[in-house]
Amino acid sequence: MLKKLKDIVRKSSIHVCIVNCGGCNGCDVELVALLSPRYDLEQYGIYVHNNPREADVLLVTGAVTEQWRDNLRRIYAKTPEPKIVVAVGNCPQSGDVFAQEGGRVLAPVSDFIPVDAAIPGCPPRPSEILEAVLTVAPGALAAKGRAQDARKD
Amino acid sequence: MSSLIWYIYEFARKTWIDGFFDAKSKEDIAHKPDRFRDFPNVIKENCIGCGSCTASCPSPNAIKLIRDSDSEESVGLTYPIINKSSCIRCGFCAEVCPSTPKTLECGENHFIREEFNIIPSKRKYTVDDYLCIRCKKCMDACEVGAIEEIDDRLLVNQSKCISCGKCLETCPVKGAMKGVFVNNLEEQKKIINLAVNTLEEYIESKQDALIQLGTDKLFLDELKFKPIFDKSLSILNDGEVVHEVLEDAINRLKIRIITWDGDDCKKCQMCIPDCPTGAISFASDNDTIVRDKEKCLRCSICYQTCPFGVIKYFLAKFNLDTNDNDEEVIHISVKASQLAERRA
Repeated sequence: MLKKLKDIVRKSSIHVCIVNCGGCNGCDVELVALLSPRYDLEQYGIYVHNNPREADVLLVTGAVTEQWRDNLRRIYAKTPEPKIVVAVGNCPQSGDVFAQEGGRVLAPVSDFIPVDAAIPGCPPRPSEILEAVLTVAPGALAAKGRAQDARKD
Repeated sequence: MSSLIWYIYEFARKTWIDGFFDAKSKEDIAHKPDRFRDFPNVIKENCIGCGSCTASCPSPNAIKLIRDSDSEESVGLTYPIINKSSCIRCGFCAEVCPSTPKTLECGENHFIREEFNIIPSKRKYTVDDYLCIRCKKCMDACEVGAIEEIDDRLLVNQSKCISCGKCLETCPVKGAMKGVFVNNLEEQKKIINLAVNTLEEYIESKQDALIQLGTDKLFLDELKFKPIFDKSLSILNDGEVVHEVLEDAINRLKIRIITWDGDDCKKCQMCIPDCPTGAISFASDNDTIVRDKEKCLRCSICYQTCPFGVIKYFLAKFNLDTNDNDEEVIHISVKASQLAERRA
């Protein structure tokens, strides 16, 4: 009974933190567009907090730069369980145009923290981001939460 | 109070209640507009394996050429594959793809084909809109219909023009139809400078004759064209271009000449402060007024200032023509200026 209630709560209220680890801000602009009335992120129970200690979902954008090498792990460690990481755009997946010969980016993000979902595009459309977060986040959060509870018992 | 009533009224409306309990985004937010340039679409069979798509791609890992393994009947296909997690949807690969029909399709830009003209020509034909009288004789003369009328202006469609030059022959207004030499512009400038400087030096050497010239008389002279032409050929070795550039320059050229007789000069020095460039100065050691040719603008202010009418001002015109011996010569005519002269 309590587990089912926890599942419902975890699924219906998703707190999001945007982490830009050295990108061009294109994906961040698309993320901010989600807050506009046209897409209206909050009607789905998704809240943008930009505080990793309150977040369930980390939206990572940008090809990881030298300064983010340690900070990315720190932010991930600060996020409470259950948590998932979504790589938004091409940069966290492959480094995109920044992964040139002699470039100084440390992409992909999955070298540093576990990534649960990836959205391709440079940048992806806001609706694609919304769709990905809505399909992956509730289920994954509930499942992880249950696994966490099982470990405690 | 009235606002409270308004709120109660507003919240009691059915549409508002429906919207509040059943809020959802409109479906069209998930639709991509028609103009949206999505990931490239690969049509394997058209690929010729040239690799220009991989060379044009700004993202290092986005596009790769791969080859299927050979089977017994046929060799494997070569074709590009797109890595979606690196592709930035710029569409460069589709634009450079040389195969017809395209192997890569991305957006709409690559369907636009730029028209180009393959006929080599030294000239580019254009209509001078200022001189054109819109008689449309060139339109009739053009064999390929390259001259078009757009917004009451005649324009030469460069992609149709075959550079036959018939429009140039039929045009009744001199200069309205132009066949401009578009290559070697720097050399053309040098040739024009050479012609102008040579002619000016020649007239300056005839100063003694000019000073004797009356106000209503013409000074006529001839100069051989051959030496200038030969010198120009050493700058640009193309007789057709050189001759036309020189002819245009000489026929259009007007040179203004300022000169004075040092013996008649009263050394009043009134011209010195009036000169806008400071080209006139007084040399006190041998008591003469000197004009610096490099600085002089030929503006005629000193001529109008001189109270004794010592300074003379002439206009020289030129015309390229053939003489009786079938030699090309430059006819030079110099006349005294018609500007009001102040006399003592």
